[in-house]
Amino acid sequence: MVGLSLGEKHFIQGGIAQDIRSDGRKRLTYRPINVETGVIPQANGSARIRMGATDVISTVKAELGKPISLQPDKGKVSIYVDCSPTAAPMFEGRGGEELSTELSVALQRSLLGGKSGAGAGIDLSSLVVVEGKICWDLYIDCLVVCSDGNLLDALGAAIKAALSNTGIPRVQVAAGASGDEQPEVDISDEEFLQFDTSDIPVIVTLTKVGRHYIVDATTEEESQMSSAISISVNRKGHICGLNKRGGAGLDPSIVLDMISVAKHVSEQLMNKLDSEIAAAEAGEDES
Amino acid sequence: MAGKPGTTPTTYSPSPTTQKTRRPIFNENDVDWVRPDGRGFHQCRPAFFRTGAVNAASGSAYAEFGNTKVIVSVFGPRESKKAMMYSDIGRLNCSVSYTTFATPVRGQGSEHKDFSSMLHKSLEGAIILETFPKTTVDVFALVLESGGSDLPVVISCASLALADAGILMHDLVASVSLSCLGKNLVIDPILEEESYQDGALLITCMPSRYEVTQLTVTGEWSTPKINEGMQLCLDACSKLAKIMRSCLKEATSTSQE
Repeated sequence: MVGLSLGEKHFIQGGIAQDIRSDGRKRLTYRPINVETGVIPQANGSARIRMGATDVISTVKAELGKPISLQPDKGKVSIYVDCSPTAAPMFEGRGGEELSTELSVALQRSLLGGKSGAGAGIDLSSLVVVEGKICWDLYIDCLVVCSDGNLLDALGAAIKAALSNTGIPRVQVAAGASGDEQPEVDISDEEFLQFDTSDIPVIVTLTKVGRHYIVDATTEEESQMSSAISISVNRKGHICGLNKRGGAGLDPSIVLDMISVAKHVSEQLMNKLDSEIAAAEAGEDES
Repeated sequence: MAGKPGTTPTTYSPSPTTQKTRRPIFNENDVDWVRPDGRGFHQCRPAFFRTGAVNAASGSAYAEFGNTKVIVSVFGPRESKKAMMYSDIGRLNCSVSYTTFATPVRGQGSEHKDFSSMLHKSLEGAIILETFPKTTVDVFALVLESGGSDLPVVISCASLALADAGILMHDLVASVSLSCLGKNLVIDPILEEESYQDGALLITCMPSRYEVTQLTVTGEWSTPKINEGMQLCLDACSKLAKIMRSCLKEATSTSQE
């Protein structure tokens, strides 16, 4: 809950209507994005993203597992978000749990594609080691360290950065195992395979305040929203997922307009994020 | 349960999804594949609604779309819990649960943890919460049998139950989902189609106001395809709302007699 006086509310709404927000940004400008990779040495890949006061960490752990019988040619990916009460007192107990589930589901919807695996940002078939027997299970866990609005976009960016940072060990499968036997594997601790992250979409949340929409809203701006739409867009310009927040109804034509604005914004965000990730990776290699 | 189609005992046929082998229900290149239940791509299942399914509740409704059967009861408005902060608008509390026997595999319904919050988000924009300050309205939904498109059926049924309870709303909320299978868009998918889908789109809207209260999309979509899908769903929603409205009218006319 954000405690704002009537004057402050008017100031935020008036500023957005005039295309100059409280922190001097325009409606479609992001806060500076700060990317650090390799922050959690225990994980196969990790990244920390800071956008203003919003601070999130995402880690990727890979474990060998067995593919499910219905999809023997695909690995498994699961995404969980944890909103710790250290970030905000309202995350304690059920409030945090609800937000965590909401964010996890939204991320799964945006990044993992349909049930059949079509349109997934992460290529599940690249995770298979031996078809029907061994595959990699990727566990993507995110932590909200500090929340100042726009969590979903930050988490999406953090997952993209963490996956770029991920190295999956090369696996040698011992020959000779046949039939129903589980083959023996040898996991290399020197050779790592990089993950292809070019297909992973970015998430753009458009928050509607009054008659205008803004990107990268702070908590204070979010408290004034009537509704928000999170759209994930991949490099091809295709929509990979869409979620709506906020109860107020929207005219279908406004939804379509928001989609086209989000597509436009996503191109800039995608390029900016890619260069930030590349810079972070280069910086890490040097040190 | 009322309204079961008497001719075919559909509930007793074993669910095809329990088959272990992957049976192709459609061919990518085959334009004329038929849906498992023989419907056209843009044809919804027959909808059946009945209000007043639970006597103890302030309002309730039962809905049946093919094999999908849900029951929703609405309690309240009742006094909010003492621990809650003062609020000059009413609170809405939503919960969706599955019976253990609703799914082909027992207890699979617990996978849908997000349905409760989705139901809440779909309804809160339609209810005039200012009319019951300091109080809470509970909406409890139970999926008796999961036959695909569960969430849209729950949402539509819940708005009918709210209307039955006399909670003031801007409009009825109708919800329809759509699956993308290969190049085709199929509306109101059944469980089998949902398990093969490449993408899904769900719309909840208030048809008389022509406003979308909730929208989710999964899978990869191009903009023209989203346009087409949204239009299909919105049309279906307005037709669904007509059925819901006639059900309400029927209920009041029979009670007056």
